[in-house]
Amino acid sequence: MNLTGVKEILFSEEVLKKRVAELGKQISEDYKDKNPVLVSVLKGTMYFVADLTRQIDIPLQIDFMSIGVYPGVAKNTGIVRINKDLDINIEGRHVLMIEDIINTGLTMGYLVQNMEARKPASIKVCTLLDNSQKRLMNIPLEYIGFEVPDILLVGYGIDRNQDFRHLPYIARYEGE
Amino acid sequence: MPVITISRQDGSLGNEIAAKLAQRLSMQLIVRNKVISEWMPEIANNYELHMLAESPKFYLTQCCDGSTFKEYIENKLIEFSEKTPSVIVGLGAQVIFADNPNAVKVRIIASDEVRIHRIKSKYRFGDAEAIKFMQQTDRRHKKYISTLYGIEWAESLDYDMVLNTDRLSIEQCVEIIAFHAETKNSLQFTNTFNFEQPQNEQPKSQEAKFKHPAEEEFANILDMYGIDWEYEPRTFPVEWDVEGNVTMAFNPDFYLTKFDTYIEITTMEQKYVTKKNKKVKKLRELYPDININIVYKKDFHSLLERFGFSGGVEIDEFNRS
Repeated sequence: MNLTGVKEILFSEEVLKKRVAELGKQISEDYKDKNPVLVSVLKGTMYFVADLTRQIDIPLQIDFMSIGVYPGVAKNTGIVRINKDLDINIEGRHVLMIEDIINTGLTMGYLVQNMEARKPASIKVCTLLDNSQKRLMNIPLEYIGFEVPDILLVGYGIDRNQDFRHLPYIARYEGE
Repeated sequence: MPVITISRQDGSLGNEIAAKLAQRLSMQLIVRNKVISEWMPEIANNYELHMLAESPKFYLTQCCDGSTFKEYIENKLIEFSEKTPSVIVGLGAQVIFADNPNAVKVRIIASDEVRIHRIKSKYRFGDAEAIKFMQQTDRRHKKYISTLYGIEWAESLDYDMVLNTDRLSIEQCVEIIAFHAETKNSLQFTNTFNFEQPQNEQPKSQEAKFKHPAEEEFANILDMYGIDWEYEPRTFPVEWDVEGNVTMAFNPDFYLTKFDTYIEITTMEQKYVTKKNKKVKKLRELYPDININIVYKKDFHSLLERFGFSGGVEIDEFNRS
């Protein structure tokens, strides 16, 4: 396998497994009798949400979202829109947003605003990785897997130009 | 209130698109069954309900309040949609709301081949049964519209857009319609990316008078994500002389209202930002409950690079923030 650019491993399979199990246990306790909807943001969360949900031993539902940037009418920066929306109606439901990594918080800010408009009973955020150095806004994160430095990472769902998602660990990436 | 009318062929996925659209935009879905079961019993007896299910002509019959059943439905739809944002499926709504400036009129179609395939799969029909079913339902739709309104059901000029689901998915259709509806000047949805801002307003970044181009660039990024902001809304005194006169104050560039966060942008070289850092440090000491972040030159340029693209790009990982 060509692993050009993939450097040292930050979180091994074992470390990820252990931490994900801890998060799952905590979520199971906090959401007992709440039948939460776990909203996973594609595609980086795919392994995390798959492993996390199998560590949660209460009833729950899973849904997926994907967002993209489209050309703006008045400006060249574009506007953010939903590519794939939820299938589940979250009105009155307890929603737990699942992210792989949160940097500036702009994406999560957009999603939280969008979710709030649908009148859920509650919205909380669970992220596997938190790069708080980059954070622009105050977004309360209920569950954090690991704090990470401001470096490029790949593996366990996180890609570099769509490569390296399938690595079972998270490693530092150094490339172009 | 906004109205979206959906005309659809059987097997075009129009019903599914309408349902998802209503959910996506938090609008009320109105389908024929709702009208017949919830509204019509107010004015129709069992015999009339039976006839309404069977004969388009019967809609032109007078009902108990003196109007025809057709007029009754029209009035109810108009009355309801004035109070509640609505997605209306069928019912000739594209004609009823033809001149309504708040209405988006959509027709969903697919090729016969694709429709037959879907009908076969949905009802477990054979080829012949599926073709017969498709032709029958097309005839019924056509007859209903031509009997009540004297127009051709499939006339594309009666619609704002016609979407072919041979190649467009349900989600794509929902997004296309939602995008059109949201950008239509007169519509004000509550469930859009800037759901608290009327759609006919200019983006805030085009209204504010910025002192530095970098601030405008940053405002554009916030607008892109629909993040509500205010420009220099508050000044924080951070140093006073012995008499209590303010000798140093700090006026952060942005306040993100929903996230209770102030942001200061600096495009100066790192070695020249000492004074600004000092102000922020003092602000944090004096106002510990205030959330403030500085965006330094390096971070600012990486943000700009990240957002300097367009064209339906999926936000994922390294271009995600």
